[in-house]
Amino acid sequence: MDDIEGKIIQNKEIAPGYHLLKVKLAKSMDPMMPGQFVMLKVPDNEVFLRRPFSIYDYDQKIVSFMYKIVGKGTDLLSRAGRNARVSVLCPLGKGFYIHKREAYIIVAGGIGIAGVHALTQMLGKRATIFFGCNNIAELPLLGDADKVNSYVSTLDGSYGFRGNVVQLLAQHMEVMKNENVEVFACGPENMLKNLKKLLKKKGVPCQASFEERMACGLGLCFGCVKKTVDKDEPYKRVCKEGPVFDLWQVSL
Amino acid sequence: MASFSIKLFGKSLRNPVMNASGTLGYGKEIEPLWGIENLGAYVTKGLSLKPHHGNPTPRVWEERHGLINSIGLQNIGVDRFFNKYFPFFKEKKTPIIVNFFGFTEEEYVACAERIRPDQLIIALEMNLSCPNVKQGGISFGKDPAMVHRIVKEVKAVTQIPLIAKLTPEVKNLQEIARAAYEAGVDGFTLLNTIPSLVVDIQRRSIPIKGGLSGPVLRPVALKAVYEISSNFPVPVIGTGGIMNYSDALSFIMAGACAVQVGTATFIDPYTIPKVVQGMKEYLKQVRCPRIGNLMGAAHSPEKNNFEL
Repeated sequence: MDDIEGKIIQNKEIAPGYHLLKVKLAKSMDPMMPGQFVMLKVPDNEVFLRRPFSIYDYDQKIVSFMYKIVGKGTDLLSRAGRNARVSVLCPLGKGFYIHKREAYIIVAGGIGIAGVHALTQMLGKRATIFFGCNNIAELPLLGDADKVNSYVSTLDGSYGFRGNVVQLLAQHMEVMKNENVEVFACGPENMLKNLKKLLKKKGVPCQASFEERMACGLGLCFGCVKKTVDKDEPYKRVCKEGPVFDLWQVSL
Repeated sequence: MASFSIKLFGKSLRNPVMNASGTLGYGKEIEPLWGIENLGAYVTKGLSLKPHHGNPTPRVWEERHGLINSIGLQNIGVDRFFNKYFPFFKEKKTPIIVNFFGFTEEEYVACAERIRPDQLIIALEMNLSCPNVKQGGISFGKDPAMVHRIVKEVKAVTQIPLIAKLTPEVKNLQEIARAAYEAGVDGFTLLNTIPSLVVDIQRRSIPIKGGLSGPVLRPVALKAVYEISSNFPVPVIGTGGIMNYSDALSFIMAGACAVQVGTATFIDPYTIPKVVQGMKEYLKQVRCPRIGNLMGAAHSPEKNNFEL
């Protein structure tokens, strides 16, 4: 873990309201797990705290992030140009563990795809991807992941299955027939809630990545917690014990 | 070589820089970036008699040049802290200040009583901003009579020096400090966060109510440090929006014997070692032999005999 200086080499809109940011780091980051994140200092004095972003991709000092404009921080970030300087505290949190399984299923909703992209690359053809978004305009979020075995839903039905990604998965439960299967998920909390309901009958192992407003990203402030079933210490830090949790341990 | 160590309650600290309570986890979390022994003393997360789960999210919110938090005093409880984390500070030979709170007078007293004196424990820091559940949730620190009573009760059960951390949300800070002082308090930490809220105009709602910290608070805290250190002959620890070594020096010159860095660590996790380094270089530059010589320097600039 380190705070590494970097400069923006690309910051382009890939779909309306979504950007892909590429940063060249001054030095290599420590080995990362898929699903880990960084705290990025947005190059604008109006932004006080750092912002958390999932590591979308990492190779040879080039780290990239896919983000959605959701507030002031991401809005100002979207306006940052080439060569703008950023500092990147990385890699942070606990990512996805890839256990030896016979089948892997990845479920992503909207910008949640950014949190599992590194995982899709590692698993390659071994994974089946279920991706849900609002409409066809958001399809570019799926990026190069569409080359592998994937299913897509849109809420408005403009592409693929009409409905949300959990409804889509429910149509394809045959992918779970292998006893030795594991599900990885990242998306809005409602999606994870519905996913938990769907998987409950089968009790499939599932690791899910959560998000929460963060201040430090290091486990210092206890600002970004999720409630879990742990009786002793129910509130776990998303930045430290997460962002990837065992879905069955999280109270939703 | 200028001396950077300070004496606090008869114990020696290697430097006057601490973290503010609750901004450096349980201490170990910062170890991947820098060693805890860089601190003059580690101030614990607020501890209570029993573990406390804290508030639901959102717990943090960004403001212009500030941060609002509503963590709700989540902590593992005083006993578990000493079992699980104190050995780490022993191993690192890093002194600690134990921040503690209660939701009733009895809880404050019982919590303080659990903490046994130790060479490494410099002081107990009593968080007086906690809501008093028996009196409609008004914070203990707002009422001089309550402050007097609770300080006296805690003093009666502990041999460890007691610091009162005061809330700025009071009519008259001097009066509160006087009440604590007359009850036997050994020092002050100034200031805690300022109660605040945010309005979401799109949802027409209040997403968070909590304590405001960060640079917006600094001038307010400086005034408190200046006034309280002028009027009471006990050590004052200054905290509130320290972002760099100059900010830290301003607190020392206003009358603080030590400083606590909080919110800045969230933006640059290396702020504390940078503040330590910056202050050291400043001492060298102005040929000041001891950091203690700068304490309260702004009160009487004419008495300063080192280079400006």
